[in-house]
Amino acid sequence: MKRTLKWTTAAIVVVLAFGLLVPTVVWAKEIKIGVIYPLTGGAAAAGRELRAGAELAADIANNAMADLEMAMAKNAGIKSMGGAKITLIFKDHEGNPTLGADLAKKLILDDKVDGLLGCYHSSVTKTVSAVAEQYGVPMINGSSTSPGLTERGFKWFWRTTPHDRWFTKDLFELLKGLSEGKARGVAKVSKQDIMKLASACEKTEWGSFTSTLVEEFSKEYGFDLRKSLLYAKEAPDLSSEVRSLKASRADVMLFASYTSDAILMIKTLDAQKVQPKVLWGQDAGFETPEFQQTLGDSIVGILTRTVFLPKVVEVKPLAGKVNKMYKERTGNDLSGASARSFTGLQTWVHVLEKAGSTDPKAVQAAANAIEISGSELVVPWAGIKFSTSGKEIGQNELGSGLIGQYQKDASGNIGLEIVYPFDVTTADMIYPFPKW
Amino acid sequence: MEALKSAFDFSDFPRSDLFVAGALVVLLLVFPLFPHSAFAMATVIQFFIFSLYGMGWNTIGGYGGQVDLGKAQYVGIGAYTTAVMLIRWDIPFWVSMPVGVCLAVAWSFVIGFPLFRLKGHYFAIATIATSLVLKDLFEVWDFVGAARGLEISPIKYTPPDFLRLIFREDIYYYYVIFAFFLIGIFYINWFRKSRLGFQLRAIKDNESVAQSLGINVHLAKVKTYAIATAFVSVVGSFHACYIKNIEPEDTMSLNISILIALMAMLGGAGSLWGPIIGAGILIPLKSYLKEWLGATAGLVGIDLILYALIIMIISATEPRGIWGIVERLRRRKPN
Amino acid sequence: MDILLSSLVAGIMFGMALSLVALGLTIIFGVMDIVNFAHGEFLMIGMYTGLLTAQAAGVDPLLTLPAAALVGFVLGVLCYAGFVKYLLRGPMIAQLLGTFGLMLFLRNMALLIFGANDRAVHQGLLVGKSIDLGMGVIIPATKLAAAGLAAVSFGAVWLLMNRTKFGKALTATALNPQGARYMGIPTERMNALAWGIGCASVTIAGALIVNFWSVNPYIGLLFTMLAFAIVALGGFGSVPGAFFAGIVVGLITEIPGFWDFLTYTFDIDWMADVPMTSFKYMWVYLAYFLIMVVRPRGLFGWKH
Repeated sequence: MKRTLKWTTAAIVVVLAFGLLVPTVVWAKEIKIGVIYPLTGGAAAAGRELRAGAELAADIANNAMADLEMAMAKNAGIKSMGGAKITLIFKDHEGNPTLGADLAKKLILDDKVDGLLGCYHSSVTKTVSAVAEQYGVPMINGSSTSPGLTERGFKWFWRTTPHDRWFTKDLFELLKGLSEGKARGVAKVSKQDIMKLASACEKTEWGSFTSTLVEEFSKEYGFDLRKSLLYAKEAPDLSSEVRSLKASRADVMLFASYTSDAILMIKTLDAQKVQPKVLWGQDAGFETPEFQQTLGDSIVGILTRTVFLPKVVEVKPLAGKVNKMYKERTGNDLSGASARSFTGLQTWVHVLEKAGSTDPKAVQAAANAIEISGSELVVPWAGIKFSTSGKEIGQNELGSGLIGQYQKDASGNIGLEIVYPFDVTTADMIYPFPKW
Repeated sequence: MEALKSAFDFSDFPRSDLFVAGALVVLLLVFPLFPHSAFAMATVIQFFIFSLYGMGWNTIGGYGGQVDLGKAQYVGIGAYTTAVMLIRWDIPFWVSMPVGVCLAVAWSFVIGFPLFRLKGHYFAIATIATSLVLKDLFEVWDFVGAARGLEISPIKYTPPDFLRLIFREDIYYYYVIFAFFLIGIFYINWFRKSRLGFQLRAIKDNESVAQSLGINVHLAKVKTYAIATAFVSVVGSFHACYIKNIEPEDTMSLNISILIALMAMLGGAGSLWGPIIGAGILIPLKSYLKEWLGATAGLVGIDLILYALIIMIISATEPRGIWGIVERLRRRKPN
Repeated sequence: MDILLSSLVAGIMFGMALSLVALGLTIIFGVMDIVNFAHGEFLMIGMYTGLLTAQAAGVDPLLTLPAAALVGFVLGVLCYAGFVKYLLRGPMIAQLLGTFGLMLFLRNMALLIFGANDRAVHQGLLVGKSIDLGMGVIIPATKLAAAGLAAVSFGAVWLLMNRTKFGKALTATALNPQGARYMGIPTERMNALAWGIGCASVTIAGALIVNFWSVNPYIGLLFTMLAFAIVALGGFGSVPGAFFAGIVVGLITEIPGFWDFLTYTFDIDWMADVPMTSFKYMWVYLAYFLIMVVRPRGLFGWKH
């Protein structure tokens, strides 16, 4: 009897002791950035892209690449810190906010990272940034678009991507443009024809905020929101949601979906022969390579807001070069996810270069004062400059969005064409949405 | 006074048990003073949290033999009460925690009275059902943040804030939950020797006999269910302050309910040390296996596979759990 | 009107598929009084079997049903002989703990082997096809197939239980194991067969369902819960009960559709704002709770 108890005790003591002895190794001349992305789970496909985007940016920063007109490609490592190299430590949050916060704590306290990058899902970014804020560790976010994230007054959180308030407004501008005959290749549409709206968004931080925004803007722009529903992104079946959308007889349908649910949603809409005139996705799932590969022809005509699409290459040679490097590594073109992850890490490099040290205070000052010109970036923004006062703190003020539409080109390949803003379109818009 | 004496009276345990328990308490007391990783700290806090959940579950599930698989709803009620009161009205933890307990207990009465008409499997599944209903309601209830959940802002309060239980370093949380843990042990020690405790064991052995002895079976079950609920709700409130971000999917998920019941059953339902042993083995196992073998090694899920195997072997060989094994060995070798 | 009709049809279709999922659970419970928490995990295994054999062999997912049945049968017998047999000796609490363990084990094995990503069938004979009945009623071919198979399976199991010697032996084992042993019925083998048949029927259901639902390692629990609700409503152990209870549960999950019908037929604004689809499964749990409290033996129960 005693022996059993002793063994139990011994087991517990050993387990505790292992925890005590976790070594903290400090490497010289190395800047550690903790990167928390969804590497497994429902958004794993996006996670792979995000990871590849960040790794590509780190490679460019750590090695001198003469043929690339980027400040960070000029030197190997961070010049102001004696060529210190950037090391990325990846962690997988599986789309779970609590797990994300745990990982952030571990990265900060056990791995002693100098900063954080992440986390894609807005819900996870929310908890991770709260941990970073508590410990005073700088965090740059490249791809979470819930507007609420930068409205919390955090001093250690910066976001490079524009957020959903802009994107959703873009959509309503597009609808307005349609009714005013401004859309390229489309005759003036009577507003009555696109009056009725319905939205279906995933129910965590990002989707539910989008849902509220749609409600807000449809009032402001005078549209009739017939139905707005929220669903679980893990849902294995969306047929009752889709039938509810169908019952609303909406002309315009809006979605905020991650990868697997976006595919499921379109498949189910197709099966139920739901026939809206405009079908619009809020980025994320709607622009992953999986989405295109799985659904094939049936996506022609779907709109998605984005910050990057391969067509940008036509107007930005730099983006073309980076895209080529990315394609060599992954076989895919850059997408909104990977391009923004790239830009997020690129911003880290610029901030570190300016700060000249990894001291949090210096990094904070550098981030608040940073100004990156648009010509440095692969995304079609005017640049990166963070707001330091007002309602939003740490939000990049110079970003902008695009709306792309899946179209088939002459050789039968399906790709995204820019249809909004109206002055940079690359193709005629398809309206109304073709029959399935 | 009598009750207090009973709570501190462990004399019916063999001295060796108490020696081991005392040594462990001392070890846990001084653990944070030695250098440790944040990960180890978080693991021990999780151990305390789940021991307390398990102790609560053990009253109704272990002593009473009613397998309850819906404890997560009370974790949720406790956590949400504390978070909502803090965020909306800036009410400190020490006030909101008892309020949360009251709400949770009230809710346990509402569903407890009909629930205990059911027995065995039917009861177990019905508890799952009620927990899921409440979770679904919280997921659309805007007042509590719906599916987005609630965030306790890390910048609004200056840590360490002992009233609101907002700290930056885990060490504070460690000692707070450690105190709850000790109180929990003493309470259960009293409970098992109380009138209700004996009534429950009679019910577990044979309900009709208990009834014929004049025990109000239904009421005794409902009362114990409320006690279990109170335990879980207190820890739920603590959880809200510790995690600072609560969502229905996370705090009220079926997985929490299942883990709570599993740990207590594995350690040994119906014994004082059972739930603590269960949590003490499963929590470190879970987090360290995940750390060593999990995502980094590409072996996602292997931690829970081993975990499941242990559960399966124990349930097939010794239904009374690990404590049952200890007792069997003890009987074989009388000292 | 078309909203109402399409919801009704969808509810019945889904309900029949669900009753097929619950069939295995009710057989196992009927014979040996054990609640199997790993039931949904067997469904998940059936789904993966269907999906992966179809992809590996390059055949239509529908042709993988026999493979799924075989996998389910073997797995079920193995589980019984290697594990459940020992559980039956212990008290109920140990049975719960044990099947929980089995659930965790199977789920995480799937996680280890297949990863956490959602996977779905994108090509197949029936995938993406649908039948337009007019009046706005569109039935996906996959769901029709599932419903048809459910009806056939129930008929077969009913005949097996009531018209064959084997069925009588099973029923005898269920009613009085000791008596059955005295009559020369090999009860151990009967139990093992019940597990085999129960698991085979649920893996078949899985291989069918994967034609219209995506699969990930966590999918089992939802179906376990739905199957529990169905089996309890139908009365634990009642085969025809499970069939009708399945349809009832299917219709309950369509409450959002009926709600939409009312909303848009009478154009009631506030009704459109109620997030009805979020409550899809909540009604099932609530109905289960209420019916169990009022009628603890379920709607068609015969065994307690």
